[in-house]
Amino acid sequence: MSSDGPSYSQDTIAAVATAPGRGGVGIVRVSGPGISTIARSVIGHLPKPRYASLVRFLGDDGTALDQGLALYFKGPDSFTGEDVLELQGHGGPVVLDMLLKRIVGLGARIAEPGEFSKRAFLNDKLDLTQAEAIADLISSGTAQAARSAMRSLEGRFSDLIAELLATVIEVRVFVEAAIDFPDEEVDYLGDDRVEKQLSDIRRRLKDVISEANLGALLSEGASVVLLGKPNAGKSSLMNRLTGRETSIVTHIPGTTRDIVGDIFQLDGIPLRLIDTAGIRRTGDAIETEGVRRAVAASEQADLVIAVVDASLDKPQQKLDLEELEAASGAGMVIVSNKIDLAGAGAYEGIAVSAKTGEGMEALKTNLKKHLGVDGSTESGFTARTRHVNALEQALAAVDKGHGELTRNGAGELLAEELRFCQRHLEEITGEFSADDLLGEIFSTFCIGK
Amino acid sequence: MHADVDVIVVGGGHAGTEAALAAARTGARTLLLTQNIETLGQMSCNPAIGGIGKSHLVREVDALGGAMALAADQAGIHFRILNSRKGPAVRATRAQADRQLYKAAIRHMLENQAGLSIFQQAVEDLIIEGDEIRGVVTHMGLEIRAKSVVLTVGTFLGGIVHVGMDSHPGGRMGDAPSNALADRLREMQFAVDRLKTGTPPRIDGSTIDYEDLESQPGDEPRPVMSYLSGPEDHPEQVSCHITHTNERTHEIIRAGLDRSPLYAGVIEGVGPRYCPSIEDKVVRFADKSSHQIFIEPEGLQTNEIYPNGISTSLPYDVQVELVRSIKGFENAHITRPGYAIEYDFFEPRELCPSLETKHVKGLFFAGQINGTTGYEEAAAQGLIAGLNAARRVQGKDFWAPKRNEAYIGVLIDDLITLGTREPYRMFTSRAEYRLTLRQDNADRRLTEMGRELGLVDDRRWRRYSEKCEQIESLEGELSQRFVLPGDNDIEVMLGQALSRENTLIDLLKRPEVNITDLVGVVSIAFTDTEVLEQVEIDCKYEGYIARQTEEIARIKAHQEMPLPQSLDYTEVKGLSNEVVQKLDQVRPATLGQASRISGVTPAAISLLMIFLKKTKKGSLQKTA
Ligand SMILES: Nc1nc2c(ncn2[C@@H]2O[C@H](COP(=O)(O)OP(=O)(O)OP(=O)(O)O)[C@@H](O)[C@H]2O)c(=O)[nH]1
Ligand SMILES: [Mg+2]
Repeated sequence: MSSDGPSYSQDTIAAVATAPGRGGVGIVRVSGPGISTIARSVIGHLPKPRYASLVRFLGDDGTALDQGLALYFKGPDSFTGEDVLELQGHGGPVVLDMLLKRIVGLGARIAEPGEFSKRAFLNDKLDLTQAEAIADLISSGTAQAARSAMRSLEGRFSDLIAELLATVIEVRVFVEAAIDFPDEEVDYLGDDRVEKQLSDIRRRLKDVISEANLGALLSEGASVVLLGKPNAGKSSLMNRLTGRETSIVTHIPGTTRDIVGDIFQLDGIPLRLIDTAGIRRTGDAIETEGVRRAVAASEQADLVIAVVDASLDKPQQKLDLEELEAASGAGMVIVSNKIDLAGAGAYEGIAVSAKTGEGMEALKTNLKKHLGVDGSTESGFTARTRHVNALEQALAAVDKGHGELTRNGAGELLAEELRFCQRHLEEITGEFSADDLLGEIFSTFCIGK
Repeated sequence: MHADVDVIVVGGGHAGTEAALAAARTGARTLLLTQNIETLGQMSCNPAIGGIGKSHLVREVDALGGAMALAADQAGIHFRILNSRKGPAVRATRAQADRQLYKAAIRHMLENQAGLSIFQQAVEDLIIEGDEIRGVVTHMGLEIRAKSVVLTVGTFLGGIVHVGMDSHPGGRMGDAPSNALADRLREMQFAVDRLKTGTPPRIDGSTIDYEDLESQPGDEPRPVMSYLSGPEDHPEQVSCHITHTNERTHEIIRAGLDRSPLYAGVIEGVGPRYCPSIEDKVVRFADKSSHQIFIEPEGLQTNEIYPNGISTSLPYDVQVELVRSIKGFENAHITRPGYAIEYDFFEPRELCPSLETKHVKGLFFAGQINGTTGYEEAAAQGLIAGLNAARRVQGKDFWAPKRNEAYIGVLIDDLITLGTREPYRMFTSRAEYRLTLRQDNADRRLTEMGRELGLVDDRRWRRYSEKCEQIESLEGELSQRFVLPGDNDIEVMLGQALSRENTLIDLLKRPEVNITDLVGVVSIAFTDTEVLEQVEIDCKYEGYIARQTEEIARIKAHQEMPLPQSLDYTEVKGLSNEVVQKLDQVRPATLGQASRISGVTPAAISLLMIFLKKTKKGSLQKTA
């Protein structure tokens, strides 16, 4: 072993490296030993190292998906220490998604959170002091990815995957039992039940894939809830961010009494923005219900914007903020509104004015950072690509296994493909069950002598 | 005083046998201590060797120069290929062995192994200085010094035998358990747990009416176990028979349950789920009206048979009644009652991959003592423990196959990583690289390494080298020879016309083409069926094997990355408490082993990698 240690990665990873924003520049970064094959297929040649060249990104049928810059860094002189290819395109999320898929189709896999930095560190490209930061990135990134996965998987989607997984495991129990216990009068591979179950799995996988591709099962992105005392300016802020008069604004405290939602594009990333009733105790039954809903919405939220009225005196602002902290069910970004008013002063947080638009850029930047869509962590968008990819691989495995069984009677190859199928589905749920197939077999069949 | 030796192997069962032979073969002066020389190579349970997953182990032990397969061939009176209609990866060989012939074969090999001496002495204590083994003390008070000691005394340590509500201490029925040593071990810091298993009543075959029973003859052409054997090495062959339990049997069992130690809660050990007692089967699968029983002959010179499928701990009177309710057994005479036995095993997660204990250097455990069941599992561990005991003396690095190299690797890794809660038995579904780990290619996976380790003798090596050469030459020929459209013989064989020029290997890739027909048609003179089989399997599994090979290569570096035994997991930033606890319990030897502990996530592995790299970089900077 050299003093550098082994090169840890034999596979090629890819990810969208910048915030996937509509209209902005998106970068797909690829690292690993498969670069030259990928470059030759996607852009027709391996570019000269360290020179940007204007190229077309080709799909697998040879048509151009997009055009943009290609940059090639030869390992070890690259960020990760491996061969790295960066493709900068102009297309929006959909095009980036297609490009990423294309690259995955050429043998790369979608990078785990923090994986580029991890490789860089392991290949001595980052110094010792950065180890902590990378460890943070991996643990928080993993939590974040789990969160975005949850977010991109609405209830029905994860239910479908869980059911599919259960069916695949059930079939595996029968297939493995037929292999490991041939004396036991259970010749499952020989009867037509397996055929039926496999067709059923295939059909269900196909349905989920097409639905997932249509985005039907995927929520529109993160939800951000505006929370504040009455009259703090939540509705005004909502309208300022969306650019629409979605929510009613009046000078009367207690104007908003129900949940009001609207879609808002944060640099092309769709977010759900939710306005709520101002938090206070009141005798009004409608408003009390509104407050309850506000708190409940914050519990479902990815992020809460706590709106404080900066024209109030500071002790009052402090009290209001404490009340919001207690009520909120999610992490908060604090905003001090009405900074345009004479004598206003922010006690804490980002100073903005919903009226003049002051401070809105700072707010957006902050939102991006907290939602993990600034490229530092995995977004729901990447999560979706990863899921669809896993589903497609699961389907391919079932197809192949099914073919092996029907054409060649090769039960052991069906078993192998089903193992892969299960693994791909588990990539989505994130739960890798210890292989307790044997346990299932013993509880299903009366086996043994 | 007895003269010092390099390696002492305690116990002459299947693990002890392979351990002693392996150690001696690599040149270590080895001493095998057994309570009773007459029981060397004894099959204490049913007289069968091999089976699914198990014959894979036997062939691997054989490929590494072990004894089990050779003895099985010399003693086997009935051979069958299981899963013969399924793919080659899951095919397995099973032999019924004559107990006497088997023992004789093993004893012969032990007695004739250079560098190995056998001594009848029960071991009562270990000599440990500091944290290192120095030797053993026998029941005569004899001290024998050695640098490594392999303990294979697991057959029913601290055993308690149950028949109905009666119980008494005992080893295998008839033998005294090795309790003095067991007590000694329990005093040390080894974690002990309890398991249970059972046996069926044995029956005098001359009292069985075979007339209406289904007969199961052995396979023809007759399979063999060892790469070195041929069917001519086998003794006379006999058939097995099959019968079934019926509703009346089940009624008798249900009526006797109140006197079953299992159901009365007397037995605390965990029994194997794959080998339930007949009372278990009847209770748990109440809707099944019949269970299969294999009638296995115990030998050529005895009438006794082993009714495989009705292991029980019901009282003797119930056993008699239930046996006699079975077709063919109406007048059966029980020669030995069935019983359940509870026994101790030591937590295998306290072992290194070499099977050396983590607590005492130079002390190795193999076989049932580690929670496994089965002769094959025992033999596999014995071979590895004996080898490493010798290598330790010789100052060499330990060796054990990895999960992707052998079922032996799967076995050891499962034991030391996951531990076990029931007697551990091998199944092919435990091996993630099942398509690569086949019983047909154990030699191609292991014999070269075996040679390097000093385990493989010249005869085996020559045989193996010849086989490899032939495979290469046949593969060369098949990939160089072309057939053209219009080739009549070929098209007749295919049943269709060729559309273009093909190599013979291309044709072989087609599922409907088999190699025997193909070489026949193109008149290639190859008769060695083993060679033909290898070429055919290589060809048909090509895509899958390539994929597995790729996967193995991809994860190799991190699989093999060593984890220091002294590592303080609480220092690793970002690991959850749960993960820290699990890592701390197992103290895995490599990152790969860590990744297989349940609950240790891929992210945790990444964090470990960062931590190790950081520590290493830190120390490099300090020394620079
Ligand atoms: N000067 C100034 N006035 C603001 C600003 N934001 C909101 N207002 C005024 O504050 C009052 C309350 O605004 P809303 O947006 O309705 O406040 P809210 O927090 O939604 O109030 P409720 O729905 O009643 O809880 C209105 O008269 C707004 O015009 C701001 O940034 N500057
Ligand atoms: Mg409002």
